[in-house]
Amino acid sequence: MVAGRAERKDGVVVSGPPERQAVRPDLEQVFRATYPRVVTVAARVLGSRDEAEDVAQEVFLTFARSSVPAGEASRWLSVAAAHTALNHLRSGRRRASREEAADGGDTVSPDVADAVVTRDERRRVRAALTRLPRRQAVALVLRHSGLSYAEVAAALDLSPGSVGTTVRRAESALRKELNRHASSD
Amino acid sequence: MRHPTDGTLRRLLDEPDGVADADREHVADCPVCLSGLAAAQQDAAVIDIALSAEFTVDVDAGWHRLADAVAAEGRSPAAPAASGAPGGRWRTRLRNPVLAIVGVVALLGGASVAAAADWLRIFRAEQVAPVTAPRADLVKLPDLSAFGDLEVTAKANVRPVPDAAAAQRATGLSVPRVGRLPRGVTGEPTYRVGGQVSAVFTFSVAKTAQTVTAAGGTPPPPPAGLDGSRFRLSAGPGVAAAWSQGRPAPALIVARVVVPTVHSSGVPFATARDYLLSLPNLPANVASQLRGFSGAGTTLPLFVSAEKLSTSTADVGGVPATVLTSRDRVMAGVVWVSDGVVTAVAGSLSADEVLSVARGLRWGR
Repeated sequence: MVAGRAERKDGVVVSGPPERQAVRPDLEQVFRATYPRVVTVAARVLGSRDEAEDVAQEVFLTFARSSVPAGEASRWLSVAAAHTALNHLRSGRRRASREEAADGGDTVSPDVADAVVTRDERRRVRAALTRLPRRQAVALVLRHSGLSYAEVAAALDLSPGSVGTTVRRAESALRKELNRHASSD
Repeated sequence: MRHPTDGTLRRLLDEPDGVADADREHVADCPVCLSGLAAAQQDAAVIDIALSAEFTVDVDAGWHRLADAVAAEGRSPAAPAASGAPGGRWRTRLRNPVLAIVGVVALLGGASVAAAADWLRIFRAEQVAPVTAPRADLVKLPDLSAFGDLEVTAKANVRPVPDAAAAQRATGLSVPRVGRLPRGVTGEPTYRVGGQVSAVFTFSVAKTAQTVTAAGGTPPPPPAGLDGSRFRLSAGPGVAAAWSQGRPAPALIVARVVVPTVHSSGVPFATARDYLLSLPNLPANVASQLRGFSGAGTTLPLFVSAEKLSTSTADVGGVPATVLTSRDRVMAGVVWVSDGVVTAVAGSLSADEVLSVARGLRWGR
């Protein structure tokens, strides 16, 4: 479960104890504006639409009773989605059958992508995501989900200048992971 | 000048405007940096593909699911939702074709009544039966708005009520008690009720032709008298008891809804049904299963995604019931119709567990 109250620790939003508050009046408005992005962030981590939608639900359910300022909602939700999805991935809460489903109709990728990166490689990259330092993994996922450098910087308490470095390190580590397997095949 | 950092090269790929002019100019003339830029570009492209996840996000379905989950937590925002269907992903799956269930399909599966000038009941669900098809086909199922104008005349107004007695007062439906909760399901349920939903549908030959043409087909010539014919659809009221334990998807749901009915204002019904079934944008396997229902006008089809769910039949208190089990064995449900009410028991349970709950429901008092 994601945080009922977001706290910042080391520039990363972490779980705090859930607090029971009234449902925020702007919930539907924020939901409609940000849901596609939140699902996309989770899907990049999990590779499955069904699971990504489950994560998005979890995140919005927490957000519904939170007092996150409206202006920070989109950023907060994206970061929470990345963390929650990474937690799912790491804790192995995924079921084997769901992974099969993810390899089937749930994830539609361009034909070109399939030709360049095999399904097995996708799985390896996602597994390697959980071994990255959390901030690198979140920065990578947010950037590849379309957040600007300024948005990623604000979300993770980084300077915009160091977002590039963080993302580059993450990409380089993941690429090495792929090459390592390729050369050992 | 020193070479810009790897991070600067990386940003140059995404946001060149965010990189200082001096750095950009340096990179343009520096073979070392250009090579670093190319490596960064390659890595970024491969990782982007590896993490890609392209699909359409259904915001409405997501919102309904969230609104239900928030409401189930106890305090409800203004939450529109279909009444009675099982929760979570199931609800999404079963709710999306609600119009089709109550509408097109009720028409398609309906009785062959040549109605007079008055409203005449042409459909009233007395049993349920699964229509199993690949998900891709179910997604293609048109809803009524593809064939004419649908005017909703009464909405469900789904709302929480404090207890079973209040639910019964609000709906007139008896609310069963669960004899013994399955393992892992605890606590008291939350109750929600909804009123009767009704709508009037006016068939439009022009709109139908437009839909069929847009799907790449050629509309067959419509039978006389179909254009402008009207149908009145209704379902509900309904009640649902959910054991949620604070989770987005309830562990157990027991729901009851007054069966859908369709009335016609006068049209040679068999002709209308045959016409709709002949449209090229209705998936052939779905159409043929629906044709199997024709005649009695009493079978409520449950659309079942062949990839996700398997179906079987069972007996609940002497009434035939349809059992749905998700192929990953995470969820199961059982649905039956008795005395003009559809009852469903579903949850994150096995088929045996939902059947045991269904058979152990206690009525009355």
